[in-house]
Amino acid sequence: MATSRRQFLTMASLGAMGAGLGLAGCSRGGGGGTGGGGGEDGVGLTFTWWGNEVRNANTSEMIAAYVEANPGITIEEQPGEWASYWDRLATQTAGNTAPDVIQMDMAYISEYGQRGALLDLAEHGIDVSGFVEGTEASGDIEGKSYGVNAGINTPVIMVHADLLEELGIEMPDDTTWTWDDWLELATSISEASGGDVIGTSTFISNDSMLSGWLRQQGKELFVPGNEPGFTVDDIVTWLEYHQQFADAGAIPSPSQITEDSSVPLDQSMFVTGRTAMSMWWSNQLEAVEAAAGKEFAFLRFPSIAGDALQRKAWYKASMLWSVSARTAHPEESVALINWLINSTEANEIQLAERGIPANSEVASVIEPLLSDGQQRVLTFINDIVPELGETPIAPPPGGGQLSPLLLRYATDMLFGNIGAREAAEGFYDELTAALGA
Amino acid sequence: MSAISELSKLSTRRALSPEDRAARRKEASRDNKAGYLFLLPWLVGLFAFTLGPMLASLYLSMTDYNLIQTPSFIGLDNYARMLDDARLHQSLRVTFTYVVVGVPLQLALALAIALLLDKGMRGLPIYRSIFYLPSMLGGSVAIALLWRQIFGTTGLVNQVLQLFGVPATTGYVSDPQYALWTLILLHVWTFGSPMVIFLAGLRQIPTMYYEAASLDGAGRLKKFLTITMPLLSPIVFFNLVLQIIGAFQSFTQAYVVSNGTGGPSDSTLFFTLYLYERGFTNFQMGYASAMAWVLLVIIAAFTAINFFAAKYWVFYDD
Repeated sequence: MATSRRQFLTMASLGAMGAGLGLAGCSRGGGGGTGGGGGEDGVGLTFTWWGNEVRNANTSEMIAAYVEANPGITIEEQPGEWASYWDRLATQTAGNTAPDVIQMDMAYISEYGQRGALLDLAEHGIDVSGFVEGTEASGDIEGKSYGVNAGINTPVIMVHADLLEELGIEMPDDTTWTWDDWLELATSISEASGGDVIGTSTFISNDSMLSGWLRQQGKELFVPGNEPGFTVDDIVTWLEYHQQFADAGAIPSPSQITEDSSVPLDQSMFVTGRTAMSMWWSNQLEAVEAAAGKEFAFLRFPSIAGDALQRKAWYKASMLWSVSARTAHPEESVALINWLINSTEANEIQLAERGIPANSEVASVIEPLLSDGQQRVLTFINDIVPELGETPIAPPPGGGQLSPLLLRYATDMLFGNIGAREAAEGFYDELTAALGA
Repeated sequence: MSAISELSKLSTRRALSPEDRAARRKEASRDNKAGYLFLLPWLVGLFAFTLGPMLASLYLSMTDYNLIQTPSFIGLDNYARMLDDARLHQSLRVTFTYVVVGVPLQLALALAIALLLDKGMRGLPIYRSIFYLPSMLGGSVAIALLWRQIFGTTGLVNQVLQLFGVPATTGYVSDPQYALWTLILLHVWTFGSPMVIFLAGLRQIPTMYYEAASLDGAGRLKKFLTITMPLLSPIVFFNLVLQIIGAFQSFTQAYVVSNGTGGPSDSTLFFTLYLYERGFTNFQMGYASAMAWVLLVIIAAFTAINFFAAKYWVFYDD
C-alpha cells in the first residue's frame, strides 16, 4: 500500500490536532474595525446600527446631512444585521474598539450599561426636554442615562379583518375585551374556517403580552435588583391559559410554532394568512403590511378587567441611542444623538422608520409626511395616552433570555413532554440563574 | 545532487573520520533549516492564530469573563459548574448520539458507494463528482435552509407523502422526536469525501490478490472479507478518525436548522451550539472557553481510544 504506517499515523494525528485546536482557540473572535480615533484634523466618529435596506439608506442620508452641516466631523458607518450585530458589538467591546455611537436595544442595554461599557449621556448634555411623558427615561438604569429613546413603540394585535368578515365573525371591541375574549375569538375563527385559518399566532412566549398581563395584576417582568417580578404560580396560570388555546385548536401546533419562531417576517404564519391574529410592535405595521400586501386592523391588547383604561399599556423604545464609555469624543457623540432625536432635519429623512419620534414637536412636524400606515400608528400612539401605566424598567443583564427560555419550556409543554407546573418551575429556575450570572 | 553523493559515500566508506562526521552534521542542519524555512508560514499561523488564542482561552476558561469587563480569575469553578449543568449534559447526549449514529452510517454508505463505483463503470468521473457534491454543500447554510424546508410541516417530504394519501403534517425539523434524526440524515448524505478516499484506497489493492483468491475458489463475500477489508482497514481508520472529529465539531447545520436555539426542546442542542450560546448570547465567555477545552479533551480521548483500538483491527501491508 502507498500509505505507510508511519506516514499515516502522522497524517491522522496532525488532522486530529488541527481540528481540535482550531475549536479550542475559537472562543475569542477577532474584533475588526477601528476605534473612535480622531481624523487627522477634526473628529472621527464611528456609528453602528442594525437595520434593513430602508433604514440603511435613511441613516446614510442622515449622516451625510450631518457631516455637511458640521465640517470637521467625519463619520464611519458600520451598518449590520440584527442576527450578527450583537456578536460583533460584544467582540468589539471586548477588544476596546466599540463604535462611538451605538444603536442599542432594550434587551441589551443593562448588559452593557451595568457593566460599564456605556456612557452616562446625562453627564454630557443629552437633551430630552421635548420628549413626551413616559419616554424620557427609557434608557435610564439606576440613575444613569445609558441610552435615549430613538423611537416610540407600543404592542398591538394585528388582525386580518377581511378574513374575519369572510367568516362572519365580528371584530372585538378592543376597549372592553378580556384575555378570555381573545381565547373565545381565536377558537371561533379556527372552528368557522374548519382549521384553514388558525385563530391566532401564539403569544405564549411573548414577553410583552406576558408583561401586560402581569402589570394588570400589579406585577412586572422584572423589578429592581435584577429579580423577576413574578412567581412560579403566575407562570403556571399563564401556561395553563395557553394550553386552553392549544386544546381548542386556536393556536398552531407546537411544530408549527417552532417553525414560525425562526422564519423571516414575510413567511410567518400571520403574514401568509394562516393565522388570523398576532402580536406585533407598532413600528412593524408598515413592514408587515408591505410583506402581506394588504392593510391590517390593529387592536389594543386585552385587559383582565375588561376596561382598556386599566390595561397598563406602555411606550417602549423601539431602539435607543447609546455612546461607548470608551469614546474619545463624548461631547461630539452626544451632539450627534441630540441632532438625531430633536432635529426636524434628521426626522424628515427617517420619518417613523425607527418608531414615532419621542420628541412631540418633531413628531407633529413630520406627521403630514408620514405614510398612511405610519399615520394610523401615530394616531394610535396618541390615543392610548390615558391607558398608559408606569414605564417598565429595562430588563436586567440576562433578561433578554426570558423569551427564548419561555419558548423552550412552553413548547416542551405543548408537545406534551412536561406539565405546566414543571415547565414553569424549570423556566423560573433557569431565568433566575441567568439573571444572577 | 548532494544527497545522492552523500548516499554513495555512505555505501563505499564504512568508517568516517570525526571531521567528516561534523561536516555531515552541519550539512544536515542546513537541510533542516531549509525545511523549517518552508514550514515558516504555517508555523507563524500556528503560533499567532492558533496557539496564542488557545492559551488565552485556557486562561479565560478559569475566569469569569463577560466580554465587557476584565476577566476575573475563579480557578476551576467553570469546570465544576458543568457537573450541575443539565443543558450541558443534554448537549453531550445530543452530540454523542449524532457522532455514534451518524459517523458509522455515513462511513458504511461511503464504502458501499465506493465499492459500486470501483467496478469500473462508464462515466465514472461523472458519478464520482455527483456523489461528492453533497460533501461540499452539506456544511453550507444554503443546504441547512433547504433541509428546513424539505422536512418542515408543509415541506417536500410531507407533500410527497400526501400525494400518496398519507395525512402527513409532522414538522420533522420542528418536532423534538425527529429533529436530530434529520440532522443525522444530513450528515450521512455528505458521504462524498470519505467515499473518494475509500475509492482511492480500493484502487490501490493489487488485483493479483483477487486473482489468486478466485483460483482458490473464493466467492465475492469471502474476497471482500479477507482481502478488501484488511487491506482497506487503514483507510477505514483514517476516515473514522477524521469523521469523528468533524462530527463532534458540527455547528452550522444545527445552528441554521434550529435558528441558533438548538430547539425544539433542546433536541438539536449540539455541544458547539451550546458553547456558542453561552459565549455570545449569555456573555459567559469564561464558561464557553472551559467548554471548548472539555470538547478538546473529549475529542482527544476519542482519538486516543481509536488509535489504541486500531492495533487490534487495522492491518498495515508494509
